[in-house]
Amino acid sequence: MVVDTQLASFFTAGALIVIGIFAALFLDNLIKKVIGLAFIGDGVNLFIITIGYKPGGIVYIFLPDMTVSWFAQNASYPLPFALVLTSIVIGASTLAVMLGLIIILHKKHGTISASKILGE
Amino acid sequence: MIEYILMITAVFGAVLALIQRDLLKAAILTGIPGASLAFLYQYLLAPDVALTQAIVGSAILPVFFALAVYKTRRAED
Amino acid sequence: MNPLIPLMVILPIACALLLNLLHKKDRTVKVLAIVVALVLPIIPLLASYGLHFFGGYYPLSENSAIAGGLPSYITNSALNVFHPAITYSFESAQKIMIFILGLIAFLAIFTSLNETKRPSGVYAFLMFMGTASVTAILLSDDIFNLYVFFEIAAISQVGIVIASGVKKNYETALKYMILGNIAAPMLLLGVAFLLGVTGNVNITDIIYSIKNGIVSPQNPVLLMACGLIVFGWLYGSGLPPFHTIKSALYSKALPHGAALLQAFSVFTFVGLGIIIIRIFSYLPFSKIVIIVISLLAMILGVTMALMQNDIKRIIGYLAVGELGYIGLGLGIGTAFGITAGLFQALNEAIITAFLFLGFGTVLYITKKSDTRKLGGMMIETPKLALVVLLAGFAMAGVPPLNAFQSKLMLIQASIQAEVPELGIIMILISIVTFMTFMRAFYTIYMRPKPPELQITNKNIPKATIISLLVLLAICIILGLYPKIATNYLQVLANSLV
Repeated sequence: MVVDTQLASFFTAGALIVIGIFAALFLDNLIKKVIGLAFIGDGVNLFIITIGYKPGGIVYIFLPDMTVSWFAQNASYPLPFALVLTSIVIGASTLAVMLGLIIILHKKHGTISASKILGE
Repeated sequence: MIEYILMITAVFGAVLALIQRDLLKAAILTGIPGASLAFLYQYLLAPDVALTQAIVGSAILPVFFALAVYKTRRAED
Repeated sequence: MNPLIPLMVILPIACALLLNLLHKKDRTVKVLAIVVALVLPIIPLLASYGLHFFGGYYPLSENSAIAGGLPSYITNSALNVFHPAITYSFESAQKIMIFILGLIAFLAIFTSLNETKRPSGVYAFLMFMGTASVTAILLSDDIFNLYVFFEIAAISQVGIVIASGVKKNYETALKYMILGNIAAPMLLLGVAFLLGVTGNVNITDIIYSIKNGIVSPQNPVLLMACGLIVFGWLYGSGLPPFHTIKSALYSKALPHGAALLQAFSVFTFVGLGIIIIRIFSYLPFSKIVIIVISLLAMILGVTMALMQNDIKRIIGYLAVGELGYIGLGLGIGTAFGITAGLFQALNEAIITAFLFLGFGTVLYITKKSDTRKLGGMMIETPKLALVVLLAGFAMAGVPPLNAFQSKLMLIQASIQAEVPELGIIMILISIVTFMTFMRAFYTIYMRPKPPELQITNKNIPKATIISLLVLLAICIILGLYPKIATNYLQVLANSLV
């Protein structure tokens, strides 16, 4: 069975999101939780990229020998890609803040188990 | 064809990173989905995002995780 | 083109960055922060209404220089009215909301600079960043831009909690961030669904596409997008299931920080709520969902508040409960109801800030926030006790204070919309709110002072008292002349119906 690239890519994004949510909710180790959160972000980014993808298309760079209408019909949609650039950077910076918090909490409690630190 | 392989490595790399007992290994393994996503973006016609993802996903974030693991492990022993 | 519209966001960000540069120059930091904070509520009053297109990229229909050179199959299509740039829309409702937000930000920053020994540091930076991002949430007509500022707002809220130095603040901050990093990607996923269906991130264009049949309104993907954006909305404004973590967040901040944090939640609630109503109001059950969520927030918030022993925790839960009133106003869906809900949002932001700052004085002089260890404050600060009592009256809706007017409007709206049950619930919750407040007030102020209670810091700064009096004055003015606010809000409410 042939699955087209776009559909397979959507499923990959979904799988990454599900894996990430599972890890963030059910794993006890805080660093693994944060790794899971990174995967959620990756999954969402892949999803947005896949929206802009055009099967059999070209990269959205206008070269001098193209006509406008041919370019418009074949190029991928660049708006989602511009959004993902921002989103990747936001994701990385929030993860950095969380890891910093984990290091501080580890100094205080001597453990990185979520149930011991975050439990009442 | 190669894009399907990249998708499978991304998902399996993610699972592999999460089932490691050694956190340092897990931190380094997060680079696998990061890097395969970067290549995948190239195949999905987004070369500029692929560049950013290659740097952030396969280099910066694993280093962040590894640093956090290193910091939290030293104090423990 | 009005340059003051982007300035509302750019000025606080620029000031925040400058404050970091001037680290350790305490006097300069203090003067600069107070001057900029004072300017924040003035800008929206001076700015004139309109749209601002970043980079000057006007829609084709307003941009004859480009549209003239294009073939007619482009200019005759929907592309002609689409907005190519990030658009900020500044209308009358935004004017009054940003004014109130700026005022609360000014009072919070003013109080914090005078209560802390060393004004330089990240605290003022984070307050300015948060104010800028929430202002942008209110202004932005671009749903991805909104997501970016949503994330900045979340991080600066966490930062305000981290910088407070209250016990166990790091744990709460990390918990909030972990939940936030699940909820914010869900919001982004909702944005992605909308983008995938309509090919657009501009809210006006998305609505245009749905209304004009470019996109089928029955598309199930839109339904999923609605669900995901609502999930992000719940997180951003601390509605159930996030009410516990949100009130914990308030209680781990300093009083002036908490006063600002709750204003952020209220305005995030309003900003995102308006967007959800604008895009998804054609879905038959969207209003019912909003009403159910609001009722849950009211009931859970107030009942949880009854059981708490920490002052800040009590007000935090009451603040969540009060959010429910706004939601009910939006959910009733008539123009009058939405006006009432938005008016209630303004009132709640003011009154909760008032309560946080008012009880903050108790915290300032005793360094304790546990009601079981407090008492007899009436003798120490009799005048402040009266002011705090008035704040509690305002929250419960006692005339002639402002929340009375908005709650009355809400009840009238529920009767007009033929759902008087909601009105009855609102009155009941209002009574329980008042009971909760009076219980806290009694234990702190009226009962005899416990012998082990120490007064560590007798002198309350003048800045705090000025802030409290300003807030009281606004409460009374809005209570006597509600038309000042409702006239601004009516325009938006009419456009939403």
